[in-house]
Amino acid sequence: MDVLNSFYGLIPVTIAQSLIVSFVVLGVMLPFRILNFPDLTSEGAFPLGGCVCGTLITAGVNPFLACFIALLCGFAAGCTTAFIHLRFRINTLLAGILVMTMLYSINLRIMGRTNIPLFTYDTVFTVLAGPSANFPWTKILIVGLLVALVLGAMLYFFMSEKGTAMRAVGASPDMAEAQGVNVGTATIIGVGVASALSATGGSIMVQTQGFADVNMGFGILINGLAALIIGEAITGRQTILRQVVAPVIGSLVYYQLISFCLTLGLAPADLKFATGAFVLLMLALPNLRRSSAGVQIREKTRE
Amino acid sequence: MTTDMLSVKGGTKIFYRGTLDERRALDGLDVALKPGDFCIVIGSNGAGKSSFLNAVSGKLPLDSGRISIDGQDVTRLNAHRRAQFIARVFQDPMIGTAPTMTIGENMLLAELRGKPRGFSYGLTAARRAKYSEQLAELNLGLEKRLDMQVGLLSGGQRQSLSLVMAVSTRPKLLLLDEHTAALDPRTAKLVMDTTVRAVEALQLTTLMVTHNMEHAIKYGNRIIMMDAGKVLVEIGQEEKNGITVADLVERFHTKSDAIALQGG
Repeated sequence: MDVLNSFYGLIPVTIAQSLIVSFVVLGVMLPFRILNFPDLTSEGAFPLGGCVCGTLITAGVNPFLACFIALLCGFAAGCTTAFIHLRFRINTLLAGILVMTMLYSINLRIMGRTNIPLFTYDTVFTVLAGPSANFPWTKILIVGLLVALVLGAMLYFFMSEKGTAMRAVGASPDMAEAQGVNVGTATIIGVGVASALSATGGSIMVQTQGFADVNMGFGILINGLAALIIGEAITGRQTILRQVVAPVIGSLVYYQLISFCLTLGLAPADLKFATGAFVLLMLALPNLRRSSAGVQIREKTRE
Repeated sequence: MTTDMLSVKGGTKIFYRGTLDERRALDGLDVALKPGDFCIVIGSNGAGKSSFLNAVSGKLPLDSGRISIDGQDVTRLNAHRRAQFIARVFQDPMIGTAPTMTIGENMLLAELRGKPRGFSYGLTAARRAKYSEQLAELNLGLEKRLDMQVGLLSGGQRQSLSLVMAVSTRPKLLLLDEHTAALDPRTAKLVMDTTVRAVEALQLTTLMVTHNMEHAIKYGNRIIMMDAGKVLVEIGQEEKNGITVADLVERFHTKSDAIALQGG
């Protein structure tokens, strides 16, 4: 019963965390599923958002403005990855790794050190909620509203004339081009927006945890992918509504699962292995069944 | 004299220039189509038919030569910019439509081909009604399935949809790239009949690549035979009436053999 009690106690904190990370999961989903552009930039854009936001807040910048600038920096990082791929024909994954690696130095340069504490500064939470800023339910309310807003905006966009064109780029680039869609521009903007979402997640994360750290994004991409897979298993992908909601649902479920495993006694050190093994299993499962039937195996991330 | 709807002058494209693998895909190609021409393009594999279509659509930028559509020079326009003049049906039914999107969304993409796209809601009720009407002409029941994913349709249905998408905007130029080659004979005939009906009803200027000699004779008002990136034989309206497959094959061989002999 002790285990269950501590799990119950952690539920609100975990919900708050998963709502914040759902920005990253949305940032993973967009290139993978909408643009068919397997992208790793999130892993660098998430700490970038955190470092930019943390540095600006300690410099006395309004926390809302700091978040917005972090978002723009993330957008630039994503655009860079897409540009590298399109202009120099470098594989999307490699382009993402290059940008992610270079961002590490940039993040260090921005902060000037590896860690900045923010406990004594105003954040969007203290500005909005004053003394109750640190209650998990306050965070859930504020971040939840923001997530709902972003979901609504994404859903509307993907059903608009422009958004339909962007989805066509992922569904069939030849067809999109033949219908007069500028495939390059749509890809750059789409991947840019995805990284902007991840950076936004980072900027909110530093304000809730009270510090910015250059290593904060380590492994976030695989967490995001795991959450995305879980979400899609729950909602399906048949309509754009399901596809857009899947990341948030997935994130909420995934972090409760993690929390449950930790309270059961899973060592935090084993967490990344467990997550990786889970993603691997989920990606491999359909192919395990198929390859026994003698069908040739295709790269899974390209699906 | 009317302006040509399509004019290609001296179109040249060389792959791997300056290497041992140098290949002239297009070698000083000259083609002119009058408004309303339905021109069939034939030729053996590697003759340059696909390169011709790709050069016109903008997918393959020319090394030299000029292309104009309805009097406007488009040589320097990218493929997506030329889409305002051109509609294309691909050979592969998988390429011409977006499989993970719905029939309605595919129609929307086609309707806005080459037009500015805004942030307003895409599939409005008015548009849905219009698309249903356009699709009803196919008699495939697609008009009742606007929200169905295109990937769930059969190859023939997808190709028919592709065709409606292409012609519904009355493009200045319609490119058909062996668009019935991947279909079974019955479906191919169905798609071909729909094609002819649409092209005639809308008086579309059309370029159709085919390997099917019977189609070449039966449809269209002109035939262009290509070889080694050039027009080898051109057969006009009068000559085309009454020509047989055997005639076509013979003319192709005499001409290409003659060139081979001259070229030595």
